[in-house]
Amino acid sequence: MNGIFTVNYAAFSMFSALLITEIMGAVGLLIAWPSRSKVLDYLVPIWEVTGTFGALWVVTGDFAYPALLVPVAALFTPLLIVFLILFVARNTSISFAEFITKRGWLDEEKLYKSYAVSTVVLGLVVLVLLSALVGGQGVNLTAGSFSIASWATAGSVVFIVGTLLLAVGLAPVLFDLSALRSLVLPLTAFGIILSVLSYWLMSPGLITPWMTAPVLLTLVVASLYTWRRTSRIVTNKAVFLAVLSVIIFSLQPLVYPKAIGQALSIDAVTTTGPMADAFFTITAVGGLLLALMLVLYVRIAIRGPNGPDL
Amino acid sequence: MAVDPVSMLSFVRFLFAFTIGSHILLVSTSIALVILISVSEFLSIRKQDPVYEALARRLSKVFVISFGVGTASGIVMAVELVGLFPSFMTLVSSTGAVVLLYAEVSAFFLEVLALVLYVYYWNSFRKRYYHWITSLFVVFGTLASAVLITMLNAWMNTPNGFDVSAFISSGFNTITDVEPFAAFLTVSTVAQVFHVLVTTLFAGTMVIGAYFAYWFVKSGDAGEKAMYSRALKILGAVAIITIILSGISGSEEMGSLLVHQPLKYAALDANTVPGTNLPDHFFGSIVNGSYVGGISVPGMQALLARFETGVTILPGLSQFPANTWPPLLVSTTFNVMTVGGLVLGLFLFIYFASFVMKRRPYESRRLLYLWVPAAVLAMIVYELGWATDEVGRQPWIVYNVMTVAQAANTSDALLIPGIVIVLFYLAVVPFTFYLYSRVFRGSDRGATK
Repeated sequence: MNGIFTVNYAAFSMFSALLITEIMGAVGLLIAWPSRSKVLDYLVPIWEVTGTFGALWVVTGDFAYPALLVPVAALFTPLLIVFLILFVARNTSISFAEFITKRGWLDEEKLYKSYAVSTVVLGLVVLVLLSALVGGQGVNLTAGSFSIASWATAGSVVFIVGTLLLAVGLAPVLFDLSALRSLVLPLTAFGIILSVLSYWLMSPGLITPWMTAPVLLTLVVASLYTWRRTSRIVTNKAVFLAVLSVIIFSLQPLVYPKAIGQALSIDAVTTTGPMADAFFTITAVGGLLLALMLVLYVRIAIRGPNGPDL
Repeated sequence: MAVDPVSMLSFVRFLFAFTIGSHILLVSTSIALVILISVSEFLSIRKQDPVYEALARRLSKVFVISFGVGTASGIVMAVELVGLFPSFMTLVSSTGAVVLLYAEVSAFFLEVLALVLYVYYWNSFRKRYYHWITSLFVVFGTLASAVLITMLNAWMNTPNGFDVSAFISSGFNTITDVEPFAAFLTVSTVAQVFHVLVTTLFAGTMVIGAYFAYWFVKSGDAGEKAMYSRALKILGAVAIITIILSGISGSEEMGSLLVHQPLKYAALDANTVPGTNLPDHFFGSIVNGSYVGGISVPGMQALLARFETGVTILPGLSQFPANTWPPLLVSTTFNVMTVGGLVLGLFLFIYFASFVMKRRPYESRRLLYLWVPAAVLAMIVYELGWATDEVGRQPWIVYNVMTVAQAANTSDALLIPGIVIVLFYLAVVPFTFYLYSRVFRGSDRGATK
């Protein structure tokens, strides 16, 4: 058990859960603009929080694995710069879109769609990065290089298709699109099959008994939505986000104890000694502050008469 | 395209300098905005004045944009640091400096969650004061982020919390005697945080003030004018307070440099040799070891130094190996910053005098028009202040520990994405300011009618 890894991975799980729900919403904006209000009710108050969890993941990663920073810079800097450009584009577009009034060529629809495209492409970049971190696709640790050409293996491609299929399958749950209710379970199940297949293609050692936990949890979410009586449980956005975070959190055996195609021991590169103590101290204080703010957020957001003042 | 490492090193320096130079434009306006919003809402409750409330509401929308672009830009810098200066970040991550970054993320959470409540749930609070208190959380989170990142910069100037000599002698491989929380208080932290905070607020206040001053003159709408004049009242007061504090804190900062970074001090004051009764130099240059072409005020530097720190022997460049000198251009940037600050002080003194003489400075067209060049000057001074601090530390990234060349990633794979980032910023920053204006002026104007 590596507590520092657990905290960093928990930050990643929350960031990923938020990002995945944003991608679900972004796809909705692109393909069903006229019914955007359901999506925007969710997206508009949440997009700032996603970025903050992203920052938490990056900074806890810097803190947790100082020995990895030089190799990470050598391997992924060009990919990270693409990520950054998309991230700025995403934040800029949505923050402008919220308050823009139509005048001239620039309007709300163009800006929201720009946000949606940036977010979806950003999600793809994150998936490329994750497949490299999980299976070592495209990574040459000895040479300190990353090549997109050698990344494009069957495992990576199926990983991306499987994840996207899961996102498409679960999107109707988040936004309660009852017209698509019957598609949720089959699409989700197919997404699970492809995801598990991708792990096996990347490295058969990634398939462990632990894998049953995220698989079962995902199927439970899809099944609860399939039956009308139980659908309200999972369409609650806080519940959906929490469960999605737990599902991602339970996928940690993909990168722990070894990551990058079983080539990198996480314990060997994790910070120790007084820095580890400091990590836990700041995590405890920051975590308490975050918990208090989240309680306040939930109290006010739930007590609010009509939801956010959009 | 193969680029040699020396050129890539210059490019990497330029890329990060460009990014941070753009980022601080956004940060300074953000800090000024959030304070203006909080004060406006407080006055709206206290005076039962709907115009102040309308001002706070409209500005809060602008602040969301500022937050969105500013945080994205902040994350760009955080990730750029890993990509461009991996050895530096390895040192940061192995010592207390990373604790500051982690604490900053906590402040960031406070800011973002409070901001979401403040902006999107304005009508959900039972009492107005409760809503206003939320703005204080946003202010606190914003300022704490700025303070913590400045603490990291202070640590780069005067590193502590680990055994420096063991680290250097091991070829940067061994970090021992780590004290993770020592980075919160280095010998330069208090002076630097004080100076950076007030000058950042000052620069942002001047920019937003110029916006309101310009539109006060241009607008024919009485309701809008009433709103702009209220904003100018607050901003004028903040600008006057912060310019005074900028002078005091700048003096403290020079005192700190004199004691803790004597080489940087000598370069800023263009002292070629050490001495006891040195003059203050303005706008000259150093040629073949001698100061030429500028104005010298005899004894003034020695007098100020004695007053600020009690130090009587001032350092000179000749005490240090020439290969550790920063580019001597910093002396000029420092002079422009100082003289610019004095000019701005004069402008605000006139503004204040006009206020004391019962004339409304925000109704004097001349003074209002002067806000615009004053704001441009304030931003130039602010950017030059930052450049003076950073260039003055060269060739070090961490003073007397690690040089920029030792820290940098000079892979030519960075070139194309780096150029794209520069082009992207060139578009995003002006567009952001344009959108601030458009969103502010396009917001619901009902309350000002």
